[in-house]
Amino acid sequence: MNKTKNAVFSYSFLFPSAILTLVLGIYPIAWAFRYMFYNYKGYGEARFTGLDNFSRVLHDSQFWDSVVNTFVYAGGKLLLSIPLSLLLAAILNRGLRGRHLLRAVFFMPTVISTAVMAVVFFTIFNSYNGILNQFLIKFNLTSSGIDWLGPKHAMLTVILVAVWGAVGNYMLLFLAGLQNIPEDVYESSALDGANKVQQFRYITLPMLGPVMQMVIMLAIITALKGYESIMVMTEGGPAGKTEVMFLYLYKLFFPVGGNGASAQVQEFGYGSAVAFVSALIVGIISLVYFYASKRMNRTD
Amino acid sequence: MRTKTLLGKSILWIFLLVFAFVTLIPVVITILGSFKTNSELTTGATFLPSLWKFSNYREAWEQANFSTYTLNSLIVALTTVVGTLLVASMAAYVVERMTFFGKKLYVGMQAFTMFVAVGAVVLRPQFDLMVKLNLHSSLWGVILILISAHASIFFILFSFMKGIPRELDEAARIDGCSPGRTFWRIILPLLGPGLGVGALFTFRGAWNEYLLPLVFTMTKPELQTLTVGLANLKYGISAASQTHYMMAGACLSILPILVAYIFANKSFMQMTAGSLKG
Repeated sequence: MNKTKNAVFSYSFLFPSAILTLVLGIYPIAWAFRYMFYNYKGYGEARFTGLDNFSRVLHDSQFWDSVVNTFVYAGGKLLLSIPLSLLLAAILNRGLRGRHLLRAVFFMPTVISTAVMAVVFFTIFNSYNGILNQFLIKFNLTSSGIDWLGPKHAMLTVILVAVWGAVGNYMLLFLAGLQNIPEDVYESSALDGANKVQQFRYITLPMLGPVMQMVIMLAIITALKGYESIMVMTEGGPAGKTEVMFLYLYKLFFPVGGNGASAQVQEFGYGSAVAFVSALIVGIISLVYFYASKRMNRTD
Repeated sequence: MRTKTLLGKSILWIFLLVFAFVTLIPVVITILGSFKTNSELTTGATFLPSLWKFSNYREAWEQANFSTYTLNSLIVALTTVVGTLLVASMAAYVVERMTFFGKKLYVGMQAFTMFVAVGAVVLRPQFDLMVKLNLHSSLWGVILILISAHASIFFILFSFMKGIPRELDEAARIDGCSPGRTFWRIILPLLGPGLGVGALFTFRGAWNEYLLPLVFTMTKPELQTLTVGLANLKYGISAASQTHYMMAGACLSILPILVAYIFANKSFMQMTAGSLKG
């Protein structure tokens, strides 16, 4: 008796959460899982076409170009943000005056909107009349301004913006990991004559292994998934130079976004297949990294 | 030896200060830019405004619809916070305290929604669903979808719930208090710190959300939030003449969360650091 009453109570409390998650979290994924086998453009009849969509993905050069762009973007973001955030964390972990203030400053970008900052960065990096170019010209560093969002530099610019937004977050995660390393390890190594660089190489890095593995994993997934800021800044342009995987996917579902984007048509069936392949790519890379990095985790 | 450490320290500080400058300067440019005229912003190459034009804010507020955008952002963010905390704390309570069939399945489902990344594809069925429920012509569609993504808050509150001694539940039960009343009267008040951190995180997420309101309000400017309205300025025909509105609008979006951050930066950071151990 008491048991059924308890169960009824439990289910009634769980109900709002469970129903919302099922309907708005799980069902949409199931929807995509179904339509990836269909030819469906959002109107008219959905026609079952088996694996046709997947053979089309294989031959879709625009998609694979976006995959390559994603790797360049994610690779660049990681190569810059991970060492930088680790360095900042290592510096701020020791008794430095003003470290709390600096920590708060470096973490600040993570609390403000990516989309809003993308608009701001657009006005800063804008090739024509951009704020950065105004100053570069004013101080005679360049005569006509640098085409920051043009075909040559656009990728670098979106990477720099992404690094700006990410470093504080990873720094904080590294800091949390560093604080778990007992102080006396450093003290005894200092007695043995180890200098700061040696301590970092032979104590900090190995003992930070598990945390490092997790942070890099998180960074890889976030970088592969990210497209919001690119969408606002460049819309994937110029000429698809910054079009990443998940932005290409977005355009298949919302071709006439508020962004006046491309002349693409909406492709729900094909888009679902692209989503599946993209998720698979992210999954495979995460797994490969996970196994390759197990070495890092072996220290403890 | 002395000079060597002094040199090292100087290099360290130069590095830190340069990086702090790079971190802050885009926000400083935004704030100062929001007081400049459009022509000063696009050709002036000035740091401080040559003339502080406070009227930018009034014009953005009245003529560029930012009063509507701000109100919509507030409605979305606050409703999402209340809804998320309610839904997630109720679920966390029964999952932590009660035994019932299907608990593992429920937790697995929450973890699944957190880790599967399929991108924009989910927005389509979500949108169609809201059209069917006739919730697409108000902000309720956006709010419900934001509330539905409460997995991380569920796990946060779950770990806070663990910290509340079970003896309290026992004592309440012996005194004849039903589980429901125990939750509202005893657990929820004690969950305060967890709810605070959860509120901060949910507010940040909902206030900064861009893609979801963009997709839902593409043809309905009266429902657009700050992020959407602001980004749309960039795409407009008259974008070149509205840079000062962009800056003022960006400030309207950035400043509230920045003020919250200045007062509660410990909670913001504690949460991020805590997610590492969780």
